[in-house]
Amino acid sequence: MALEKNESRPVAEKGEHIIARHLIDDDSIKEEKNLVIDGVDVSGRWNTFILSRVDSEFDRSFFNEIKETVVGSRINRCWQCGMCTASCTVTPLYRRFNPRAFIYMMQLGNLKELKKYIDVAWRCVGCYKCSQRCPKQVNPAEMMEALALVVKKYFPEEVETKLKLDEEVKKIYEDMILGHGRLDLAKLHTSSMQKAGRAKELLGRIERDAIFKMAKDGRAFSILKLGKPRGWGRSKDAIENYLKNLKTIERNTD
Amino acid sequence: MAENILVIGGGPAGLNAATMLSELGVNVTLVERDSFLGGNPKKFKYKFLFPDMQPADNVIGELIKKAEAAGNIKVNYSSEVSDFKENGKKFDATIKSADKSEIKTFDSVIVATGFEHFDPARDAKYSYQLFDDVIDIKDLERMMGENNLLRPSNGKPPKKVAFILCVGSRDRHVGNQYCSRVCCTVSVKQAIELREHFPDCEAYIFYMDIRTYGFFEDLYWKSMEEYDVQIVKGRVAEITSGPDNTVVCKGEDTLLRGPFEIQFDMVVLASGMEGGPQSPEISKKLGIELDEHGFLKPENVTLSPFKSNKDGIFLAGACTGPKAISDSITEGAAAAMNAYTYAVKNR
Repeated sequence: MALEKNESRPVAEKGEHIIARHLIDDDSIKEEKNLVIDGVDVSGRWNTFILSRVDSEFDRSFFNEIKETVVGSRINRCWQCGMCTASCTVTPLYRRFNPRAFIYMMQLGNLKELKKYIDVAWRCVGCYKCSQRCPKQVNPAEMMEALALVVKKYFPEEVETKLKLDEEVKKIYEDMILGHGRLDLAKLHTSSMQKAGRAKELLGRIERDAIFKMAKDGRAFSILKLGKPRGWGRSKDAIENYLKNLKTIERNTD
Repeated sequence: MAENILVIGGGPAGLNAATMLSELGVNVTLVERDSFLGGNPKKFKYKFLFPDMQPADNVIGELIKKAEAAGNIKVNYSSEVSDFKENGKKFDATIKSADKSEIKTFDSVIVATGFEHFDPARDAKYSYQLFDDVIDIKDLERMMGENNLLRPSNGKPPKKVAFILCVGSRDRHVGNQYCSRVCCTVSVKQAIELREHFPDCEAYIFYMDIRTYGFFEDLYWKSMEEYDVQIVKGRVAEITSGPDNTVVCKGEDTLLRGPFEIQFDMVVLASGMEGGPQSPEISKKLGIELDEHGFLKPENVTLSPFKSNKDGIFLAGACTGPKAISDSITEGAAAAMNAYTYAVKNR
């Protein structure tokens, strides 16, 4: 069978001709805009497929992989009571961050489902309330670390694109800590907004007023006067050394 | 003169009742429909019992041995009570076997007619008897008893096994609304045994609730934490055949709200317990009440679960509802005590 892509032809939106289009997820529609099979033009609607929602496999190798890690070793304990999600700090803010469901997806090796949550999978703030309350001592907080490792390993491209800004902010944060030995929230905020291409918003009326107020009562200057912690050089070396080791370990496990 | 007490049924409850009565010096007549003692555990060759995985023979074998050793227990194999009449405070019963029938007068009666395993073939969606690799817990128990855990279809070790809970229980569609109490624990126990036998075999349990009540919970925890048994929430609505000689379980994962169709090498249905045809039969013959679930009805479920609504007739074991073997044995003793008291009072 000869497949060729015919790029010249203008075609309608993906799945547009499906009458009840609104009922079907974007990801579930498979349609090539321009496609010729054996010389026959089957572009657009002539090659549309709606993918089934049915899960057809439990991938246990994935479960075993998680179980081998230090942070995910208790994955077999989880019985899905939902105590972790109920006590979570993040869930009330993002509906899609659900530790209970993430653990279940990991147990069943449901990568298809996990993929939908790449952008929120990293949002655990590490308060450990879930681990303190879990009746089976699953340690969900650390399970979220296992989840982050998995997401990074199986979806490197998606992580690269969807979490680009997060990675950049993390870099700013790291540089700030290493360079100054302390966190400058104002600088972190401005740098992050710049990276996000939203620097303009920093000059809104509220922000201007705040800066004016802080300059007036002297707080703006006191921040500048804060020095580095005493003996920061040695701490810095230790942290840099740790980060270097971490990178070596990561490279070796890949 | 020694009392005469009739015990109907030679399962765990009946055997324990008979043995205890014989120790009190009572002449016991034991009527058993099968040609052997031990009831369902013996009939289906249960191998290990929950919660401590002790050999079933330790329990059932012990009960049979005690009953057989007692001089004053007359066991009637392959027989039944064909006629039953009240005679003042006493009872006249005709005990019929293939070759003879005799009428005897008894001071009191203990009914321990037990239960029947639900026949999964009655619920067509599970395709029991249609596919060789769809079996139920009693089949698996028998297979374990015979030391043969291989797939019935091709004799190879299974690689992926599903346990489906609540088959024939908690389902209005088949007419049984009650929970059969022990199937969760039995399934969890069997999943552990399977994983022990074939460490490479994956075991999944499809559940709506896991009801391993009381200390049976320990076994449930053990199955997950030590044997990596995976529980999946959702009842399976259909079993069909799959490629490469597999069976496919179709259901909804209610935690992820998504449909699934998963291939398995073997499916084990946790079929529940039923009163069986013997319960209405004995209820009619003895004139004791039957409940809405098809089991015999105790006079008061809380105060006197071992008494029937008729004075002098006592109930023990699974004939009054789904029960673990330990509960049946306890009830056998309770019924024995009450039957003895009644007999002595009306001497």
